[in-house]
Amino acid sequence: MSLHFPEKPRRPDGAAFVIAAGLAALGALLVWEGNRLPQLGGYAGVGPADVPKLVGWCLVALAGWTVVAAFRGAFPERPRQQVPPLLWIIGGLAAQLVLLPMAGFSIATGILFACTARGFGKRQLWISLPVGLAFSLAVYGVFDRVLELNLPAGLPETLLYGG
Amino acid sequence: MSTFDFLLQGLATALDPMILFYALIGVTLGTAVGVLPGIGPALTVALLLPVTYGLDPAGSLIMFAGIYYGGMYGGSTTSILLNTPGESASIVTALEGNKMARAGRGGPALATAAIGSFVAGLLATLALAFLAPHVVKLALVFGPREYFALMVLAFVTVSSAFGDSALRGLTSLFLGLALAVIGIDQLTGQARLSFGVPQLLDGIEVTTLAVAMFAIGEALFVAGQGASLQDKAIAVKGSVWMTRSDWGRSWKSWLRGTAIGFPIGAMPAGGADIASFLSYAAEKRASKHPEEFGHGAIEGVAGPEAANNASAAGTLVPLLTLGLPTTATAAIMLAGFQQFGLQPGPLLFATNPQLVWGLIASLLIANMMLLVLNLPLIGLWVRLLTIPRPWLYAGILLFATLGTIGVNPSPVELGMLLIFGILGYLMRLFGYPIAPIVVGLILGPMAEQQLRRALAISQGDLTTLVDSPVAASLLALSAVALIVPLIMRMRGKGGVLAQMAGDED
Amino acid sequence: MKTMILSGIFAGALALPALAADYTIIAPAAPGGGWDQTARTMQEVLQAEGISDNVQVQNVPGAGGTVGLAQFASSASGDPSQLIVGGYVMVGAILTNNSPVSLDDVTPIARLTGEYEAIVVPAASPIQTITELVEALKADPGAVSWAGGSAGGADHIAVGLLAKAAGVDPTKINYIAYSGGGEALAAILGNQVTAGVSSLGEFLPQVQAGTMRLLAVSAEERIEGVDAPTLTESGYDVVLQNWRMVAAAPGLTDEQVSAVAADIEKLNASEGWKTALETKGWANTYLAGDEFEAQLAKDKEATEGILREIGLVK
Repeated sequence: MSLHFPEKPRRPDGAAFVIAAGLAALGALLVWEGNRLPQLGGYAGVGPADVPKLVGWCLVALAGWTVVAAFRGAFPERPRQQVPPLLWIIGGLAAQLVLLPMAGFSIATGILFACTARGFGKRQLWISLPVGLAFSLAVYGVFDRVLELNLPAGLPETLLYGG
Repeated sequence: MSTFDFLLQGLATALDPMILFYALIGVTLGTAVGVLPGIGPALTVALLLPVTYGLDPAGSLIMFAGIYYGGMYGGSTTSILLNTPGESASIVTALEGNKMARAGRGGPALATAAIGSFVAGLLATLALAFLAPHVVKLALVFGPREYFALMVLAFVTVSSAFGDSALRGLTSLFLGLALAVIGIDQLTGQARLSFGVPQLLDGIEVTTLAVAMFAIGEALFVAGQGASLQDKAIAVKGSVWMTRSDWGRSWKSWLRGTAIGFPIGAMPAGGADIASFLSYAAEKRASKHPEEFGHGAIEGVAGPEAANNASAAGTLVPLLTLGLPTTATAAIMLAGFQQFGLQPGPLLFATNPQLVWGLIASLLIANMMLLVLNLPLIGLWVRLLTIPRPWLYAGILLFATLGTIGVNPSPVELGMLLIFGILGYLMRLFGYPIAPIVVGLILGPMAEQQLRRALAISQGDLTTLVDSPVAASLLALSAVALIVPLIMRMRGKGGVLAQMAGDED
Repeated sequence: MKTMILSGIFAGALALPALAADYTIIAPAAPGGGWDQTARTMQEVLQAEGISDNVQVQNVPGAGGTVGLAQFASSASGDPSQLIVGGYVMVGAILTNNSPVSLDDVTPIARLTGEYEAIVVPAASPIQTITELVEALKADPGAVSWAGGSAGGADHIAVGLLAKAAGVDPTKINYIAYSGGGEALAAILGNQVTAGVSSLGEFLPQVQAGTMRLLAVSAEERIEGVDAPTLTESGYDVVLQNWRMVAAAPGLTDEQVSAVAADIEKLNASEGWKTALETKGWANTYLAGDEFEAQLAKDKEATEGILREIGLVK
């Protein structure tokens, strides 16, 4: 476990400062929200505003700690990452989100399926798209029609299973 | 008739071949739906309840019990094999279980989960049958201050048990606590951090966060390492079955998990997730191989799996003895019982013994059936890992989003799934542990609400928090759990503890 | 074997003839809750009684039903086949959540079922009557802690109305909100709080078992088989029913509204609905047309008033 921690000090990891800034911003947001909320402590004396403020200040403190840790070089090395596969999968999820209400479950999820397979190196979209669509349609049949899960229907669902 | 006679009579009814067949169908359907990420036992039972309507009372009761146990067990399979917990109670199972699966020991992990669930289910159901009236008296002693003390203990033990860096573990935990603030404050009805988005008023769903963090974050992380795509996961190394040493290390954990899970499940504000967290922390402390934790320690699967099943039986204690549905699952079960003409309440054991013992016998049979169904299937389940990665992960994401779409097909919910998925990916990339953020989201609101309730009842008097023996001892225990490791480290003992402290020193 | 069964059910589902009068019922809550159960019971009975051939239930959970209501008001407008289930809790949630959409934006059809609120104390409590409880409240409001459901819900409103009727400042009540019925019940049984308030059905089994003492109910008149005075006869002018209703989409013609109302009336009159309510333990408090509208207006006014006084709505 501590294998990942380099013994000799190295240049502070730039990413650590971005993380620290993010934590501090989130902490500030919580503190701000805590100050905005009315003090409705009632008989308890502790109201809805107190926990957000506490968590907010702790996040700010953790941001400070992160900066210190970065200067000490206590951030682990990261595995090298390839960006295109990530974009395929994120794109697939986004496409599903957008297409779901209009195109229905099977088309939207079929596209997610194919994009994910592409992200994992399956390049032949002409294979993975139909496979994804067929699989999603089967899943729709089982979960919507048999188990009454109510998934959004589109053209393929209506054609295959009726209205 | 004595308790024992009623139980035997119930078992005799349940041993009819047709009844056993219904049990098998129930367990199969329950597992099939419960296996979906984001669909926990409560929803599984809710979805499948209509299937039981057409049967006679005995058949319907046993199918219902089968669905319940199947739904409980289904979540652990995907946790172990695919690192995608189906619900909050199987999150800790993923921690060690998936590490085992990656090392080619998915078989033993699934087996210890199945047998542990069975052992815990058996013992806890028997405890339910014979001890329920006594256990429930203890459970009622727990008021807001006792729960608050229990939450403090959970925070202390759980956070020391996660990850190898105190900084990153705490950061992850506090991110979870920050997410927990979102939504309507339960005690005053104030909207917090919801920015006028109505879908945020109910807060972040634990299952949404867990599915996004584990399933989507994991998929992104694996995909990002493109080059290593060629090396396939090792489906099986050595035997699919548990070795002698696996058995030796598991059985104590099963018993400990049961001992932790049953009473916590019986408490009105306890739950299977808290039971599984505490069990994991306990196993890590009790293990002779603490260095294996985080790398696939079998105790870390055996204990929590036993605990969450025992806790499920524990939930039935307040439900059957007092008519208190204390969890979402219990509330759905209540609706299920009503179709059998069974009105849970304080007089149930006295007025309706046949049905109660019939139910308990059904639970025992369903529990057995689950083992019968799942042990032979382990070999098959493990093969899941031999599916080529593009298809495997495409399928995982399909089912991960299916759970969310089925429960709440709103773009906001799917958007959260995507955003938290990316967050989960980034956290993995920078070495932040995933479990504490989910733990923070679960425990945060409970700790806050119980504290404020306790203080409201005492009208702001802080001494109320230590003014009950139970609360005081739980807080003392938390203090010990916090301080002892510090002292031990100062004395230079235990390399494990030093490693827990991470980059702190 | 599983496939055989599944395909059997599947074929059955496909074989349903598609005739007229299809409905989609929005349950603005997650599966399993009260509104969801109401919607699914309606679905079952509407189909079994042949009032409608195909009824779908769709869950749109969130924020006391206001998320579902908002979606319904915008997307179902002018569509007579769309229905939404709702209830008294929505009246309060619309106010506390500053919901942009209110019950004025849909077409309420009828109140279907309802439950009255009940006030109890633990069996071990020295308090014997509602008057004693109110005296204690008058003496020191903070010392009387009330366990009930979520803040701003029917239980909270009932306590607020009682305090007001007794001449106690409603902002001074020490109300402890719990998430589920079970947790609040446990707090009362465990003697953690002074009194409890929730729907009568939740408390009745406990009262019958002697673990709780029922002090009063919020009904207009005494309820048959329930040995407790109403709040009104005890001298506190509080009547509160936590009801569930069904509403149709906005922008319908009068004929369309009457057609839906006729179907719901058929549902209410059916044998299947009667049996379903009995198994679920729901009281039939059917009220439709102008009477329902008048009652709704009254409830809205009273609720808004008391939520302002408690300080939950500004």
